[in-house]
Amino acid sequence: MTGVLQKSPTRSGQTLARRRRRVPPLVPIILGALLVLALTYVLPPFRNYQLATVGAYFTVTAGLTVLTGLNGQLSLGHGALMATGAYTFALAQNRWLSMPLSVLAAILTTTLAGVVIGLAAARLRGPYLAGLTLAVAVVVPSVTSTFDETFNSDMGLSVALDPPPGVVPMEQWQAWLCWAGALVTAFLLATLVRGRFGRDLRAVRDDETAARLAGVHVARTQVIAFVVSAACAGLAGVLFAFLAQSVSPGAFPLTLSLFLVMAIVIGGLGRLVGALLGAVLLVALPALAQTASERSGSQHLEGNLALVIFGVVLVVVMLAAPGGLASIHTNFRRKR
Amino acid sequence: MSTKIPDHELALDHITVRFGGLTALDDVSLRVPAGRIVGVIGPNGAGKTTLFNVICGFVTPTAGEITLDGRAWRPRPHHLNRLGIARTLQGVGQFSGLTVLENVQVGIRNRHSRQPSERGWRESRHSGQPSERGEQGDWHSGEPSERGGQEGRHSGQPSEQGEHEGRHSGQPSRRGWRGGREKRSEQDALDALERCGAAEYAYEHPGALPYAIRKRIELARALASRPRILMLDEPAGGLDADEIQWLAGLIRDTDTTVLLVEHHMDLVMAVCDEILVLDFGKPIALGPPVEISANEKVTEAYLGAVA
Repeated sequence: MTGVLQKSPTRSGQTLARRRRRVPPLVPIILGALLVLALTYVLPPFRNYQLATVGAYFTVTAGLTVLTGLNGQLSLGHGALMATGAYTFALAQNRWLSMPLSVLAAILTTTLAGVVIGLAAARLRGPYLAGLTLAVAVVVPSVTSTFDETFNSDMGLSVALDPPPGVVPMEQWQAWLCWAGALVTAFLLATLVRGRFGRDLRAVRDDETAARLAGVHVARTQVIAFVVSAACAGLAGVLFAFLAQSVSPGAFPLTLSLFLVMAIVIGGLGRLVGALLGAVLLVALPALAQTASERSGSQHLEGNLALVIFGVVLVVVMLAAPGGLASIHTNFRRKR
Repeated sequence: MSTKIPDHELALDHITVRFGGLTALDDVSLRVPAGRIVGVIGPNGAGKTTLFNVICGFVTPTAGEITLDGRAWRPRPHHLNRLGIARTLQGVGQFSGLTVLENVQVGIRNRHSRQPSERGWRESRHSGQPSERGEQGDWHSGEPSERGGQEGRHSGQPSEQGEHEGRHSGQPSRRGWRGGREKRSEQDALDALERCGAAEYAYEHPGALPYAIRKRIELARALASRPRILMLDEPAGGLDADEIQWLAGLIRDTDTTVLLVEHHMDLVMAVCDEILVLDFGKPIALGPPVEISANEKVTEAYLGAVA
């Protein structure tokens, strides 16, 4: 038997070279924070607002890419979870006018919603899970019109906010808070996903039976993934309410949920960098569409052009880099 | 082998499984004494895999009882690892999105309930050597194994000492802040891969590797959890003669209880202490290899006619 064992040639030197070097998550987070901080001082107010929106989108796409990319659960209902967070934030803020308290309340409510949906989701697979989350995406906005005394139907609620501290312009303040939320979320997710839990998430995604035999509690892993992802969506909802200073069902349509999924797929599933790229696209492409339609002078174009552009980008990226934009870099390195 | 053996580590009593009108297992009883290698053979559809699925909790028996260490036990798949039971899957069940190393690491979970006197393979690897690493004491501190034949396995490999050196200096200190758990699991996984002759593929993805290598990885994942009961479901499928010979050596040396479902008779006859033969869900023979190969009923079941 010893002889046979030696049969396999050892290429350990080569193997070690191929080992992936992992950067501690704190490094890119701190660099990102510094970059954003610097940008907010040089960008004009509208660009700062857009930057803030990217941060808010990144908060939800980061959570969604962990759920869909790493754990393999497709959710078409994250827009609705954002709405849940946003409305809770608005109601709490209008009552107590205390940001930390309202944010906490919003995240807790969304987490709770995440537990409920996650428990159901852990029993569903593939298209059935998509169907369930799709139902959530449809139902939540209509709740606002059913209980219009609380939620004020399609008009929505305005959000009472404290003015920014000192002489900081509103847009800069928004960018700071949104990116603080986004980067804290990204850091927590990156830390969570780095070790054994991240491995379990992916193991469940790839082969549930084998994962179970290896000792992974499949249902628990799936529920935790959903809850974590829902909490991120809740925080993103808060940031959107904070950005718009109002909440309305129109801000969280079904298309938002679909756009979120598209964004993480284009960016690169299961990678936070991909989620970031997706968030950038979610802001940049509609802006691009708007500029284009303004140039052409057609009013009809504006609403639909963003969808077209998104579709085209999705097709092109999937053809050129099936792993998403984030994979281009690695592919390039591998080819060399 | 270990001295304080309970009568039967795992026992199945009158297990019957029916799927609708089909009886997959009919009154099957099997006692698996600790440290023994028990084979389960039978023609296709005899219920071998169903038997495994019963032990793993994937299938709930219609009737019958399972006892583990003398206590009634209702198996649940994700509890197996904690209880020290590892099973490989017939069609290699691997996580294609994970590297080979990560695949093996999934099987390594922190279990503190392990007894130091376990018949884990680590002890025998380090036989005769006092454990120098205190923090790994939970599984390193086993008494020196009585089995002397282990040394042969190390010939041609880097010496024990060299391996230890490499383990310390080879780790990038950068990752020290994360604590030892991750590092330890990585090292355990590498050791298991090396033991299964697949260490060179540690940083590749299993989907791109040949079937025989994936079999080894599957085996490594099971071994990495340092099981006390190892359940192998057709481990020799797709392996060539040399590899089967290697596998036989590995199974004999695991020093754990082994349950083996296999079609490859040479392997079964070579490694098993005891063999259970199933035919259409019914146990038709149980005994040591010599008896089984002489048993007429077994020949009949396999060849379909009275010889």
